[in-house]
Amino acid sequence: MRAHLRGMTSRRGRLKAGPFSLAALLLVWASPSLAQEAYVTAQLANEVAVVDLGAGKVIAHIPVDGAPAGIALSPDRKTAYVTRPEGQSVAVLDLDKRTVTASVAVHGGPLGIAVNPKTGVVYVADWYATRVVVLTPSPEGLKQTGEIAVGKSPSGLAVTPNGGTLLVANREADSVSVVDLATAKETHVIAVGRHPFGLTLSADGSRAYTANVTSNDVSVIDVPGHREIGRIATGDRPYVVALAGGHGFVTDQYSNSVTAFGLDDLKPAGSIDVEDHPEGIAASRDGKSLYVANWGDNTLSVIDAATLKVTGKIAVPDGPRAFGDFLR
Amino acid sequence: MRKTTRRTLTAAAALATASVLAVTAQAHGPTRRKISESIEINAPADKVWAVVGNFKDSNWVENVAKTEAHGDDPGKSKRTLTLKNGHTIEEEGTNYKPDRMLFGYFIDKIDVADLPVNDFSSNVTVEAEGDGKAKVEWKAAFYRGYMNNDPPPELNDENSEKAVKAWVQKSLANLKAQLEKGAS
Repeated sequence: MRAHLRGMTSRRGRLKAGPFSLAALLLVWASPSLAQEAYVTAQLANEVAVVDLGAGKVIAHIPVDGAPAGIALSPDRKTAYVTRPEGQSVAVLDLDKRTVTASVAVHGGPLGIAVNPKTGVVYVADWYATRVVVLTPSPEGLKQTGEIAVGKSPSGLAVTPNGGTLLVANREADSVSVVDLATAKETHVIAVGRHPFGLTLSADGSRAYTANVTSNDVSVIDVPGHREIGRIATGDRPYVVALAGGHGFVTDQYSNSVTAFGLDDLKPAGSIDVEDHPEGIAASRDGKSLYVANWGDNTLSVIDAATLKVTGKIAVPDGPRAFGDFLR
Repeated sequence: MRKTTRRTLTAAAALATASVLAVTAQAHGPTRRKISESIEINAPADKVWAVVGNFKDSNWVENVAKTEAHGDDPGKSKRTLTLKNGHTIEEEGTNYKPDRMLFGYFIDKIDVADLPVNDFSSNVTVEAEGDGKAKVEWKAAFYRGYMNNDPPPELNDENSEKAVKAWVQKSLANLKAQLEKGAS
């Protein structure tokens, strides 16, 4: 959204110069360059693929070795942080230049990753351990500044919009840790379904959703109340949830489908066939479309959030996971 | 474990950087692998699907001597495959779409000596090819046979992938032989 506005403002500045610039403005509006981009971690190809969602194709390849998996973006949406589980590190990507600018060691199994929208601090889940590693940006670069004790095999994580609370899905502990970021301490543990993997927060931070891999359901959490308030049955091996247009959408890895559910009634609203082993899913900025990374078939499926139908697919490099905040 | 690796690396400091990187990469947990194999069969798609979609009889699958289904819903039910060596594989259906001629399942329990995999899941599809022919495609996703660091060679990524590929290829060849023999 911010990128949009910035682009329009600068064009508007030139608009005053004369009719030629008006033509330029119209061209720019019609061009796909204003569309959103997806940054797809292609784990088996060892790269992050840049996808122009308007044009429906990969427009750049950023090599990132070490089996890249998780991704999160900085508050200004200019930097991506990518976990490299086999490289035991987090790669820092300049998204405008499309290059890797730094790599920060995180030992163990860095997989899930999230950024504090207020402070820009980066949280990395170590799925071999019971900790979240804290990386703080500074003029000298990104540095490890601490770690937070959580449950076993932390996987998906998210920070509330006010920047005050971190939620962590602990896969082997069947729980969600609530961490107070002022003290960097776990303050509550919420029991959820079996093996929660992805964790997604609502835009206002009041609800969280975990995809429970082995109980085949989604847990709905009342964040201020620190409790689970609902459970929705999914297909086989749910991975992560995205939210759009009054529905939740969860990828079902083994069913090759996306299960939609109502955010008000918390009831299943339909199953959408996608392709082989769907993993990461995210909603477009306007909330009209969802993009699903199909790990097995090397594609992104495009889903219409209103009709719950697949409207297209985009070829991407080998083993797309796109676990995290992969659209801008 | 990691310490030992480091010591070895330090001792072998003369090693080229490439070898050091290779050792480091192997020293950590596995990532999921995949294979995709297909075969063309000289038999109509519906006849091929009648075999592939019959979850109560997987005897065309390499090494399988007996199939026992524990239920009637191929999209959900469990089944036990008994191998020629007497070992068993426990499986569970995940996907059964006759209109798309697709059958999917995952393996609950397997001895890595029989197939070096963990968390194996797969989908088999049949597609009409015209001229009374069909194409069968088998896609599988799995982790290597050894889930921790430093796998023994027979359970590493490369050999697990090779073993799955060979097993799927043999199974598809069995399917082709069975169906083409039946058609003549």
